[in-house]
Amino acid sequence: MKRRLPTRMDSGATIAEARDVSLRLGGAVILDGVSLTVRTGEVLALVGPNGAGKSTLLGVLSGDHTPDTGAVHLAGEPLSHWSPVETAMRRAVMLQQSAISFPFSVADIVAMGRSPWHNTPRATHDEAAIQEALTTADITPFTHRTFNSLSGGERARVSLARALAQQTQLLLLDEPTAALDLHHQEAVLQLARAQAADADAVVVVVHDLNLAAGYADRVVVLDGGKVMAEGGPKEVLTAEVLSGVYRHPVEVWEHPGHGGPVILPRR
Amino acid sequence: MSRLRSLGLVGFLVVALVALVIVAAGIGQLRIPPAEIVGSILHRLGLDLGPMPAHPQGDNALWKVRFPRVALAVLVGASLATAGALMQGVFGNPLAEPSVVGVSSGAAVGASLVIVTGVNFLGNWTIAAAAFVTGLGTTLLVHSLSRAGGRTEVVTLVLTGIAVNSLAFTLISFATFIANTSAREQLVFWQLGSLNGATWPAVTAVLPFTVVGVVASIILARRLDLLSLGDRSAAHLGVDVERLRLTVIVVVALLVGAGVAFAGIIGFVGLVVPHLIRMIAGPGHRLLLPASALGGAVLTIVADLLARTLIRNADLPIGMITSLVGAPFFFWLLRRTRIRQGGWG
Repeated sequence: MKRRLPTRMDSGATIAEARDVSLRLGGAVILDGVSLTVRTGEVLALVGPNGAGKSTLLGVLSGDHTPDTGAVHLAGEPLSHWSPVETAMRRAVMLQQSAISFPFSVADIVAMGRSPWHNTPRATHDEAAIQEALTTADITPFTHRTFNSLSGGERARVSLARALAQQTQLLLLDEPTAALDLHHQEAVLQLARAQAADADAVVVVVHDLNLAAGYADRVVVLDGGKVMAEGGPKEVLTAEVLSGVYRHPVEVWEHPGHGGPVILPRR
Repeated sequence: MSRLRSLGLVGFLVVALVALVIVAAGIGQLRIPPAEIVGSILHRLGLDLGPMPAHPQGDNALWKVRFPRVALAVLVGASLATAGALMQGVFGNPLAEPSVVGVSSGAAVGASLVIVTGVNFLGNWTIAAAAFVTGLGTTLLVHSLSRAGGRTEVVTLVLTGIAVNSLAFTLISFATFIANTSAREQLVFWQLGSLNGATWPAVTAVLPFTVVGVVASIILARRLDLLSLGDRSAAHLGVDVERLRLTVIVVVALLVGAGVAFAGIIGFVGLVVPHLIRMIAGPGHRLLLPASALGGAVLTIVADLLARTLIRNADLPIGMITSLVGAPFFFWLLRRTRIRQGGWG
């Protein structure tokens, strides 16, 4: 079968969509009628307490999970219409990668991000894409080390670089900042902003609400498998919404400088 | 690993293999110098070059006994080492090996049943086909029993191997029990692993299995690299993970069927060879798989040479030789893995 190469979509177009998606895993309802639209040119943050269904929703968008009911679209077609390679040309996923089976080097792993483009005209960009990803993820100092010898934060940046090397218009990041220090947390979300400025779409699952407030164009608050709120950070990240979903009093302040929300749990 | 070094490794293995084929064919009760062996081959190819074997029985011994045996050693070694590297990739575990996890003995069940019952449905290919079928069943069984989240823990793998091996050996014992005297003798030697009965028909029966298996494995190499990231990440990079796993399992069964059908159970080739290649060349499957095929052939020729020359006038089982080296090697790997993981937990 002929592989359909992707065409770049304009900024603001719908690149991925979940419509009324429900999913049960192991008898428990994980997603309950969730609808979500992902547009190019924006950073979309998924927030919510543990077990809210954030990562599962990301898994549904990436094709890891097939929802029991509802539809998932990617680049204008049902996800199932794309072959695995065609899907991989359109979306990249960064997971929390624990360890890998064999002692591959960092350079090997980032190069694996180019595999969807093998035998396509875009394979000529391989070297440039890899170099750019290594630089952007700030991992050039340890390209020759093996993945399993790295710290958690370094592994996260390698996984990010692999997803970047894939050069897809949709980037799905599952807790990319969980293992990172302050500098690299900011760097990852600045990177997400930069990708969005180039008309990419970035969906990011984050626990740090201030990162979501500072970098997302749109925030979706999930709780119990349902969308509780959706909109710009200022509208959504309010004391009322957050205190409800986290079952803990939350205070939201206006930053004296830029005016954005600053979120703190009441202590 | 740079392209130049990769080529260097493959080149070295090819040269070593050719040299060993010539040397091994000359060693035995009747010694034939390498020049005469090359001469004999060239004459068969219609080139009137080089000396013919000086001994009156030399040419005959080469073509009737030595060459089929060396050829079978090459095919069996290449098959087993490639099967080992493939299994390690698909199990995500460098300790997976056909004889350790019971795939070799599973394939041996089919082959021994054919030997005992004397059924013949595919002529020359009957034993190999039966070994493939039961080997495939065993690989599927082990794969479904021992996998969790795309990886296989060492303990699960080894324990599954013990269970599968003991079941398979029970069935082989049953086949040995019901066999008549001549089939029983054949089975006993064959369980120990031996290239003693190598013939040209055996070589031609094994050849297509090995060639198809090795070529298929090289085609799958790139995707096996991605599989080491884990099932989910491999899928995100466009790998149809379930299909890949099934394909690899069929190829493993083909190769193990080829390895076991005429030579019996020769253990640990699939463990030692890929491990050494990884130490030299790194884990990338595009080099690992072809280099393992070559390395497996080299190791098996050497082991067979030792088997038939260590004790004068005795043809030791080759499986004994490979296990003598392979079992301690396996033990060392196990210990090292355990230390690295801080116990089995």
